[in-house]
Amino acid sequence: MEKYFAEIEGVEYQIEILSDNLVVINGAPYELNFQALRQHLSYSLLLEGKSYEINTYQDNGVWEVLLRGSQFSVQVEDERERRLRMAAGQASKEEGKIILQAPMPGLVIDIRIKEGQEVEEGDVLVILESMKMQNEITAPRAGRTTRIQAKVNEHVERKQVLLVLE
Amino acid sequence: MFNKILIANRGEIAVRIIRACRELDIPAVALYSDADRHSLHVRYADEAYYLGPSKASESYLRGDKIIQLAQNCGADAIHPGYGFLAERADFSQACQDHGIIFIGPKPSSIAAMGDKQAARATVTAAGVPVVPGTEGQGNLPDEQLIALAPEIGFPLLIKPTAGGGGKGMREVQNLEVMPGLLEASRREAESSFGDGNIFLEKVIQGARHIEIQILADQQGNVIHLGERECSIQRRHQKLFEEAPSPFIGSDQELRERMGEVAVQAARSVDYINAGTIEFLMDEDKNYYFLEMNTRLQVEHPVTEEVTGIDIVKEQIRIAAGQPLLVKQEDISLTGWAMECRINAEDPYRGFLPSTGIITQSLLPAGPGVRVDAGIYSGYEISPYYDALIAKLIVHESSREKTIARMKRALEEYRVIGIRTNIPFHQNLLQNPDFLAGNFNTQFLQDVLPPLSAIHQDKTLSEIAALAATLAAHEQSQRSALEIQRSKRDVSNWKWVSRWEQTRE
Repeated sequence: MEKYFAEIEGVEYQIEILSDNLVVINGAPYELNFQALRQHLSYSLLLEGKSYEINTYQDNGVWEVLLRGSQFSVQVEDERERRLRMAAGQASKEEGKIILQAPMPGLVIDIRIKEGQEVEEGDVLVILESMKMQNEITAPRAGRTTRIQAKVNEHVERKQVLLVLE
Repeated sequence: MFNKILIANRGEIAVRIIRACRELDIPAVALYSDADRHSLHVRYADEAYYLGPSKASESYLRGDKIIQLAQNCGADAIHPGYGFLAERADFSQACQDHGIIFIGPKPSSIAAMGDKQAARATVTAAGVPVVPGTEGQGNLPDEQLIALAPEIGFPLLIKPTAGGGGKGMREVQNLEVMPGLLEASRREAESSFGDGNIFLEKVIQGARHIEIQILADQQGNVIHLGERECSIQRRHQKLFEEAPSPFIGSDQELRERMGEVAVQAARSVDYINAGTIEFLMDEDKNYYFLEMNTRLQVEHPVTEEVTGIDIVKEQIRIAAGQPLLVKQEDISLTGWAMECRINAEDPYRGFLPSTGIITQSLLPAGPGVRVDAGIYSGYEISPYYDALIAKLIVHESSREKTIARMKRALEEYRVIGIRTNIPFHQNLLQNPDFLAGNFNTQFLQDVLPPLSAIHQDKTLSEIAALAATLAAHEQSQRSALEIQRSKRDVSNWKWVSRWEQTRE
């Protein structure tokens, strides 16, 4: 038996896989049939007779699920991964650093803050132009900028570090 | 007819034009930048030539290179699509100077609609007010625009002269913020259209955006193909269009009146080819002339669906000097059509562009469904061009049935590997005000509740959690098997036979 924890936007589901055809979700058992189609990007799930076609792929360790026209981001971990994360989580929380990366390649149009400045959650930090649109990169939480690595008029690649928030 | 048509564009619209060329049995020539060698338009075309680096200013905006390539390959006509060079009078002129037919209006019509004086005068004479603004006054420097702003009144819009698609547009609330916004607008316009000229326009509060499609041939026949409702916009970028407009609905008299005004506006500048007259309409059905787009529109398919007329093929026929095959009295609107623009944007995170590789693209199908797309499984979304990757168009007999069909098609359409705005459209199509046809251009900003990542349907969330877990489980089982394989000390054949025995 394998036990997993799946989380969608703060809601956790405990899922135990008892066999290929039997799972327990939050204590309730379900019969199912799960088939991988096409290079493991598409799946067909029959759950208690109901049919679902699912597309899923991993992006940055998160499972992106397309289901009936909706998109879900699911964090999945097994018991061992959970233990490891809990241990690591404690350590990084003490440092509390957020490294803000460019979500897409583009041109840095404006940097709205200075090093050492306090920011609130949602404050616009950087304006990045990509796909002919100007996009606002906002602070994921309140903090102080300790380092600004991007420069105005600089071309940045996806995941390039823009600044560090503490 | 033409010997060969060169398409000075990329993406879905280039594919759309190639399809029209195929059906007319005219060879189509594609051009590509560094980023587009694998793109569909290159693969669908009969011939394709390298244009230049990925940046639009070094490739799709290089009119000189494009004309050179057209001459080298013996193309006698150029279709500009929309965006890029489509509304550049200088490019239309350059084509003419080199003996190449520009599939679009004459340079003088583009220029006339560029300064818009003639069209404004005509619609004013027809008793239709124009939206106040500086559009008729040519290209003014920032100081003059700032001086004129209080006369027009706030809020107002800064719009690029060569514009379209909401690019470079800025809404201005007061004089203080204006200089910075003017600068930002000019910069965005320059990088999108190669033309930093801008003008000011008053914002009409609570207005709907309704536009009339026209066709004009070289023999002097001008007809209109009814209206399109384009009020669903985010930051002045249209996201969803339908024909007819639910606001005009069965008011045939209003439709005819607006159509007549559109035809007059086109005639006033000796317009030839396909064009669109945009209006803003207030709650009392007063309409104001906004502008004329002297090109094919992104949303042209909804008109094609309800009229049965292939606008791109008509454009080509008109440019070749053939008269329109239909008269105004032959045009009637059948049923209802809608278009969802599918953009590589994340609707859960402020519509941030999403780049990356589309690992899979599963198209919707079935009755009344059309997809105009430039993407495919394996397509890489580059940051150089705009975020529109596909248009999903459906047609049915009534608005209600069309909405049901669109919901079904959106559910079937799966683009995997990147984020798209499909969930946004799902959210829109279930909003009661939208369903009632009760919306205007402020709807997305002021009325529609933003898409929540916390899904209403708890059952669906649970299924998603289960599916992700099963996929993760399956993946870890598979990788465990890989490790097992590399560790085993027996020969492969023995191992395979053992493994076979363990299976049923």
